[in-house]
Amino acid sequence: MNYRITHRTTYEYSSRVVVSHHAARLRPRDTETQRCLEFSLSFEPEPDLLTEHTDSFGNQVSCFSVQKLHKHFEVISRSFVSLMPVLQPDPLQTPPWESVAAMFRDPVPVDLLDPCQFVFGSPLLLHEMPLRDFALPSFTKGRPVLAAAADLCRRIHREFVFDPKATTISTPLNEVLEKKRGVCQDFAHLAIASLRAMGLPARYVSGYLRTHPPAGKPRLQGADASHAWASCFVPGFGWVDFDPTNNCFTSLDHITVAIGRDFSDVSPVRGIITGGGKHTVSVGVDVEPVGA
Amino acid sequence: MSSLFNDYQPESFFDEVFSKTGKARSHYGAMLDSVGSLNPSEYSARQKAVDATFLRQGVTFTVYGDDQGTERIFPFDLMPRIIPQREWERVEAGLIQRITALNLFLDDIYHGQKIITDKAVPAELVLSASHYRPEFRGIKVPHGIYIHICGTDLVRDGKGDYYVLEDNGRCPSGASYMLENRNAMKRAFPGLLQQLPVRPVDAYGSMLRETLAHLAPGSVLDPVIVVLTPGIYNSAYFEHCYLAKQMGVPIVEGRDLIIRNDRVFMRTTKGLEQVHVIYRRIDDDFLDPQVFRKDSLLGVPGIINAYRKGHVALANSIGTGVADDKAVYALVPQMIKYYLDQDPILPNVPTHLGVDPKECSYILDNLDKLVVKAVNESGGYGMLMGPHASKKERADFAELIKKNPRNYIAQPVLQLSRHPVFVDDHFEGRHIDLRPYVLCGDRVRVVPGGLTRVALKKGSLVVNSSQGGGSKDTWVLWDDPLDMPAETSPAA
Repeated sequence: MNYRITHRTTYEYSSRVVVSHHAARLRPRDTETQRCLEFSLSFEPEPDLLTEHTDSFGNQVSCFSVQKLHKHFEVISRSFVSLMPVLQPDPLQTPPWESVAAMFRDPVPVDLLDPCQFVFGSPLLLHEMPLRDFALPSFTKGRPVLAAAADLCRRIHREFVFDPKATTISTPLNEVLEKKRGVCQDFAHLAIASLRAMGLPARYVSGYLRTHPPAGKPRLQGADASHAWASCFVPGFGWVDFDPTNNCFTSLDHITVAIGRDFSDVSPVRGIITGGGKHTVSVGVDVEPVGA
Repeated sequence: MSSLFNDYQPESFFDEVFSKTGKARSHYGAMLDSVGSLNPSEYSARQKAVDATFLRQGVTFTVYGDDQGTERIFPFDLMPRIIPQREWERVEAGLIQRITALNLFLDDIYHGQKIITDKAVPAELVLSASHYRPEFRGIKVPHGIYIHICGTDLVRDGKGDYYVLEDNGRCPSGASYMLENRNAMKRAFPGLLQQLPVRPVDAYGSMLRETLAHLAPGSVLDPVIVVLTPGIYNSAYFEHCYLAKQMGVPIVEGRDLIIRNDRVFMRTTKGLEQVHVIYRRIDDDFLDPQVFRKDSLLGVPGIINAYRKGHVALANSIGTGVADDKAVYALVPQMIKYYLDQDPILPNVPTHLGVDPKECSYILDNLDKLVVKAVNESGGYGMLMGPHASKKERADFAELIKKNPRNYIAQPVLQLSRHPVFVDDHFEGRHIDLRPYVLCGDRVRVVPGGLTRVALKKGSLVVNSSQGGGSKDTWVLWDDPLDMPAETSPAA
């Protein structure tokens, strides 16, 4: 499955901005089942400075600064991505969640150091969160880890209402838990914090959904914008992505852009400006399937 | 012997001045003779004169969360603490060994993590430290040094043996008080300091400057150095200004700096001037809103990118908090063994880790005998002095520990050494510790002495200034005045 993706972020300011710095994580990652074959960024106005590096989670980061007065700034990323079907282990054949959690208590095996950095609190998901109570019903005794994650995914989908008006980017998780409403970011955070509350590693994945569903299939929530989902670690297999917003494991409809501990590690475009007064941001994402 | 000490009781503690038999230790001899020539009212007059100077000069610190107002004078006790040469040489060697291991550890943790893959330290304990910043792995820092300025807290137990209580590798404060205390002593006992071979500390400003200059990007010959402060509301604002003045460098706030072309510039009356080294006294979280906390107005957006590119150096580096996490502290002896293949010269205080279920239940069963500390707090906040706490305080703390065991460690209550402190018109013993300052630049240097902190409340074991502590001048006494090492490198 191939996709051509356009991701447009536009800032409009009520007064002039003196200088702006942005960090963007927009380049789709190469994974075992995904190749990013083309990628380009374009800007209006052109930044005075553009540098790139790979962060410690393996995401490509583009940093750019506009150092002349401007009231408008737009960044467009275009990518061409090829996806292969994701092989999922049979959830019922995965090890019991308790034994997975035990692997991440000292002494942690050396080959699990990479997932081990995703077990603990992260900038937006601190340890104090009372999520164990929420998570517990999914983690019955001896349940295979992926079956428990799938149940968690199902419960979030069933108990929570997708409501873009209910939360903002900075709504804390306990408020989401109280209101039972939120968006993909909140649901991904909820799933991740729940897994971690049980002592399991969990990652945050940002990416895209295909915009137009295949004929006869319903449109998925979260298309036309950046999407986010969660990833659970299965020993002997690796990371398995699941999407609590749409209650599914990810496959040919989900394009992975960046991976981190939580949203703060992977924000698609993060910026700081001097001046500018009030500002509005608009984001448009278009994900077109190409060929067959 | 002075009448001032006639009724002095060392009691059952290790007293810095008097041995168990009541005899003065030899390195205090000359000092006692001099103080002994004073009567209580003369001594008291000198103490008051010094207090007045501190007030006039605004030698203050700030206490958070107190309705009584915030800015306080740092109480100062006139009688200096003296460390003889042979004791100091061991302390110094121990501190150099320790900081060397800590810097190797940080470089390793932020790169290959060999110490973990070689199983010399446990992975969970290290990676779960809340100040560990995995997003910083792989970034090259100047000369591979992470902690350039360290304040290591030392204590002596009932036998007089030195122990390391904790490492402060983020933004240790107190060096300004060490310098001011010495100035006060020079005014109060001018003849004595001239006559005794006391190692000077007043080179600290130039030592600090040399240490910072060493970090400057390679091609810069005369680097511009600044002190970056969060501003006047910070508890150590006095110190930030003081050290900037000692080094002869500007003090700036975040809003005084801007980033252009991944370089840091300071706004000056003559336009923008590039900055090469920043002695930052702002925590990681607030340093760069583009990378860390977005709501921070204290930092400088883009500064981390400039650091990553090597256009500016930061002291201390990012993520050093993983090394002064009080649970990771317990691993320092393993680090010394692993990186240096040596035994620690200065031992740790035995430490029980909450994260280990067995030790956690030991802690909970023995709360009345232990000191419990939150792993990332400092300044005496977030701790429980078991034996002195009420039943309710212990029960409340037990709940906190059960909720988040990784966040707590416990240590036996050490009977810290005591030192005579002037109270009203006589001397009484009070518990003390020692915070020497260690600087890592082209070489590791330890300022001779440091800040001796005193628990001024009778019987108290908590020396932190925010908890009613005071301080003393600390004299490192050399045997042979002609043999004293030079404190600074010859001027370049």
